[in-house]
Amino acid sequence: MGFDLAFALSSVPTILGAIGMTLSVALVSCIGAAAIGFLFDVVRRVGGFVGLTISFVIDFIRSTPLLAWLYFLYFVLPFYGIRLGSLTVGVMGLSLYYSGYLAEVFKAGIDAIPKGQSEAARALSLSRRDAVIYVIAPQMLRNIAAPLGNYFVSILKATPYLAVLAVPEMLGRAFDIASETYRYTEPLVVAGLIFLALALVISHGVKRLERRLLAVGAR
Amino acid sequence: MSQQSEPIVDIQGLNKWYGALHVLNDVDLTVASGACVVVCGPSGSGKSTLIRCVNGLGSYQKGTLRLAGTTLGVNARETAAARRQTGMVFQSFNLFPHLTVLSNCTLALQRVAGRSRAEAEHIAMSHLEKVRIPEKAKSYPGQLSGGQQQRVAIARALCLNPRLMLFDEPTSALDPEMIKEVLDVMVALARDGMTMICVTHEMGFAREVADQVVFMDGGCILDRAPARDFFGGSGHPRSRHFLNTVLKH
Repeated sequence: MGFDLAFALSSVPTILGAIGMTLSVALVSCIGAAAIGFLFDVVRRVGGFVGLTISFVIDFIRSTPLLAWLYFLYFVLPFYGIRLGSLTVGVMGLSLYYSGYLAEVFKAGIDAIPKGQSEAARALSLSRRDAVIYVIAPQMLRNIAAPLGNYFVSILKATPYLAVLAVPEMLGRAFDIASETYRYTEPLVVAGLIFLALALVISHGVKRLERRLLAVGAR
Repeated sequence: MSQQSEPIVDIQGLNKWYGALHVLNDVDLTVASGACVVVCGPSGSGKSTLIRCVNGLGSYQKGTLRLAGTTLGVNARETAAARRQTGMVFQSFNLFPHLTVLSNCTLALQRVAGRSRAEAEHIAMSHLEKVRIPEKAKSYPGQLSGGQQQRVAIARALCLNPRLMLFDEPTSALDPEMIKEVLDVMVALARDGMTMICVTHEMGFAREVADQVVFMDGGCILDRAPARDFFGGSGHPRSRHFLNTVLKH
């Protein structure tokens, strides 16, 4: 069975029709994962029992498969009366799963800031909150732009997992076409190429952003 | 030194340990308003540790430390208010690299002193003029030389109108030709009547403006004397030895 270009092209509109779903799932998950991951790292720094608990949660998340999280949220939670739509479960699963990784990225980004920076903030009597917002976070952002961008691409590439919850994203659509026509090569190649294009565009954007962040002040 | 009013800093029996290491050993020190105290001694003698305790950056286990009439660590709000009366200048400048020189100075004015942006910029510019670097207001720290950065750091600390300035080896990270521009600013500040505690090995500076020179070694204050006597060679043998080494260098 060769590669039928005409059939491949005919599958493009259907698959591309789900690009909005793929991108919005990825975007919301990125924001969710970044927010939860940042919170994890900030709370972990409190130390003591709370810090240890958060450390354990982060390790737990990172040591379990994403698919297990998605199935758990989708099939187990309803037994406890929590019934969520498949899209919600998908976004929650991706956000939670990647928050564990992003917490480590934030940790590295914050640890790379010289200790003198927070000391200077304290010497100026800035509140802890102001020190984070005006001194630590902007410098952290500069440190983490590249790894953060990589994880955003990873999240994008992980959206097909949501096919198991019947979320209509791109790979799911491609698979639908395949099951209807028994032709797998073309739709899968088309979906793969679209993912490739998206990933390239995002990493290029991240590189440019990083260069701009590094350009400010540092010479 | 006559002391009509209460001293700004009053340290009694201060002790600090890092594990088994006794880094501050029964340190007593009072600093009167308007005085300039130079703290010197070999590295690891506890000089930096001592002045970091004064503004609450460092903790201690025993003793009392009164700052601007407040015993630190008793009441959180009063401690914060007393700390706000101090400005600190670090060896490594610690300017915020992502902010312009002007924003470095206005940040605390806006966020801590509650000034409007216009007010803050006005105050900041006046201090940048005082350290003779107003033309760099829009530059980033990375574009400045070390001496310029340290002068900005001094201006930043002055913006909150502190009653006490703490200098932690402000010229140790500088190339020799930049040391003078920073010391000039510090001399002018001392002559202006600012109360200062300076950890420094710049004995020329000490001779010129210090009211008192304190010599530390092994966490103890071994010698304290008015600058004239200290350089007159009437001190503790250990400090005379130190002085000889530093001056010959």
